[in-house]
Amino acid sequence: MSRPRSTGALGGTSVPRSTIATMSATRRSVLRGMALSGLAVGGSGLLAACGDDGGGASSGSGATVKFGINEAQGSGPAYDRLKAIADAYTAKTDTKVSLNAVDHNTFQESINTYLQGTPDDVFTWFAGFRMSQFAESGLITDVSDQWPIDGLGDSFKQAATASDGKQYFVPISYYPWAVFYRKSVFEKNGWAAPESKDDFMSLMDDMQGKGITPFAFGDKDGWPAMGTFDILNMRLNGFDFHMGLMAGEEKWDGDEVKLVFETWKSLLPYHQEDPLGRTWQEAATSMGNGDCGMYLLGTFVVDALDESGDDLDFFTFPQLDDSIPADSLDAPIDGFCVAAAGKNQDAAKEMIKWLGSAAAADAGNEAAEAPFIAANSGASTSTYSDLQKKSAEVVGAAANIAQFMDRDTNADFASTVMIPSIQEFLKSPDDIDKITASIQEQANSILG
Amino acid sequence: MSSHDAVLVPTVPPETVDRLKPPKRIEGGVMSRPRGVVITVIVALLALAWVFPLAWALVNSFRDYGYTQTNGYLSSGGWTLDNYRQAWAQGDFGLHFKNSMLITIPAVLLTLWLASMVAFVLARFSYRFNLTLLGVFLAANLLPPQALLIPVFRMFREIPLPMFMSDSGSMLNSFWSLILVNTAFQLGFCTFVLSNYMKTLPHEIYESAELDGASVWRQYWQLTMPLVRPALAALATLQFTWVYNEFFWATVLLQQGDKFPMTSALNNLRGQFFTDNNLVAAGSVIVALPVLVVFFALQKQFVSGLTLGSTKG
Repeated sequence: MSRPRSTGALGGTSVPRSTIATMSATRRSVLRGMALSGLAVGGSGLLAACGDDGGGASSGSGATVKFGINEAQGSGPAYDRLKAIADAYTAKTDTKVSLNAVDHNTFQESINTYLQGTPDDVFTWFAGFRMSQFAESGLITDVSDQWPIDGLGDSFKQAATASDGKQYFVPISYYPWAVFYRKSVFEKNGWAAPESKDDFMSLMDDMQGKGITPFAFGDKDGWPAMGTFDILNMRLNGFDFHMGLMAGEEKWDGDEVKLVFETWKSLLPYHQEDPLGRTWQEAATSMGNGDCGMYLLGTFVVDALDESGDDLDFFTFPQLDDSIPADSLDAPIDGFCVAAAGKNQDAAKEMIKWLGSAAAADAGNEAAEAPFIAANSGASTSTYSDLQKKSAEVVGAAANIAQFMDRDTNADFASTVMIPSIQEFLKSPDDIDKITASIQEQANSILG
Repeated sequence: MSSHDAVLVPTVPPETVDRLKPPKRIEGGVMSRPRGVVITVIVALLALAWVFPLAWALVNSFRDYGYTQTNGYLSSGGWTLDNYRQAWAQGDFGLHFKNSMLITIPAVLLTLWLASMVAFVLARFSYRFNLTLLGVFLAANLLPPQALLIPVFRMFREIPLPMFMSDSGSMLNSFWSLILVNTAFQLGFCTFVLSNYMKTLPHEIYESAELDGASVWRQYWQLTMPLVRPALAALATLQFTWVYNEFFWATVLLQQGDKFPMTSALNNLRGQFFTDNNLVAAGSVIVALPVLVVFFALQKQFVSGLTLGSTKG
């Protein structure tokens, strides 16, 4: 790739996923990741204690809330939406919002030092294990007194709840992972979205017969293949087992996980070859230009195609086991937390409640070129594209929502164990026993 | 002194000059011709391997993402300047360049000033702990900064600063912390180089200065400093590039997006999922430019300064 790392002036790598302080191969980032995890272990208790100091400052008219967001200024619709939301809050309550915009990957990689240093009052974060971890170490504030919030249903409340049963998070948006395809390609070949496993298999065979690779696939960055693992595990072993596995309560070297890898191995001939040398953008391109029929990815697949997405459609991964309905999927939820070390706790809590409202989502969506899919059921859908309307429907109909592997489990485990293990599997699919044993061994030490 | 020098110059009788002349120089120096060719090829290959990624990035920074994504990077076409325009705007490089300068210039000046004082004492006075002191300065250089992250982070968190110096109220999230950290980490190397260089200055001038009644301060400021100017210039070049390129501490100690220096701001060009590599390449070229300018502008001092001080000491 043209990644000009060797100019020396370069800061980071261009691994396009934040989740990964430790995964990219530069020595610098690996060491930093290690050091940061050290910080996480060491410093949390102390800081939580200092956090209350500046509390009780005034809220409402004239107060200032510091708002840390994980999108750099000028980085596109995601920044525009958050900025508009902050402005709308100021207009509504006369509370000044001082914005601290840091790019997505840096924000995520520095989150430990951020929360233990001088964090902003309210900051953007993710639902699930990632949030729960900080709740346990006392780095974020309990906001259960702000719940329930109008328009946010039980599934979102569940996603905002940490292991102690209290809410530490307020959701604003989400996006689903599903199987994307080009409408025009499907029409031309007379294909339809498969309803059952048999449909699915015959569709893939038909594609292969016509010289089209059924699935585009790229895992150079390590994280995209986690989506495949997640969906196979949910389809083959059910949602509860999947979440238990992510939490370290189930065995990685048991028959269930082996079944996932065995199934995956049988599906690999339907995938693009040599996925480790391909980024997801390149894989998306080969789906976009018709070399491949389908691509399992998040809705952000549109970004790589440099187009509006009007010719794209998707279906949820079909049922694989007769006893397990295809009603769960990955749909990572984004939202906000209040930092325990923030100076202005009361104003922050007030703001975070408003951030969960339909008004906040609408303010964001009206201001940006591309809308997000609002978590709040009262939010307007008038600016949504067809893809988003369908996404909202599909997620709304789902019985269970997972957050994606790197958000559902320990971040270190996801990046330092699962990424290399899945890549190892893709390199030598016959070593399933060895790979699962090694995952379990490492899970023992990380997940306890 | 000069009157004695004449006596010490060895004189060679004119008739022996021819005999002492070295044998006629063979083309290619000590190497025979085939060996020279092999070396040239190897060096050329190495140079190519070194330059290739840079050139590749430079070329692709002028190409449209859509074009390279459709046709692959091996194609040719899709030439555009838009990446530079967009990188400059999206990366907000104007602001971040200012931040980089606010960190780099004070840090370099402070490092050189402190290092020259230590080096002066180490080179001019003999205490029993001279060598130990130099060793300690150098040893600190060998510690990886990552190992010091947690202590430094916690220390800075506990040091209060008045609000007009740091709006976070502590050393964290302020330029002061970066200036200090960079100074501390570069001090060892600069002290080492400068003290070696100062040892090459003739002792006699200090004796004369002493006889003329110059104080130690004056010997340092008015005598030594002008004489070590080449070394200072070389070190300033090096230090500028090192501190400017520093990434680790800036990312860890700063938490406010609008305070990031150039290197950290380069990340602004990456999206959450999507990275336009051509755009990042353009951004990297922009970020690398100041270093290249400083390097080429001060190249002469740099080369001469590196070898000066290396032979004695």
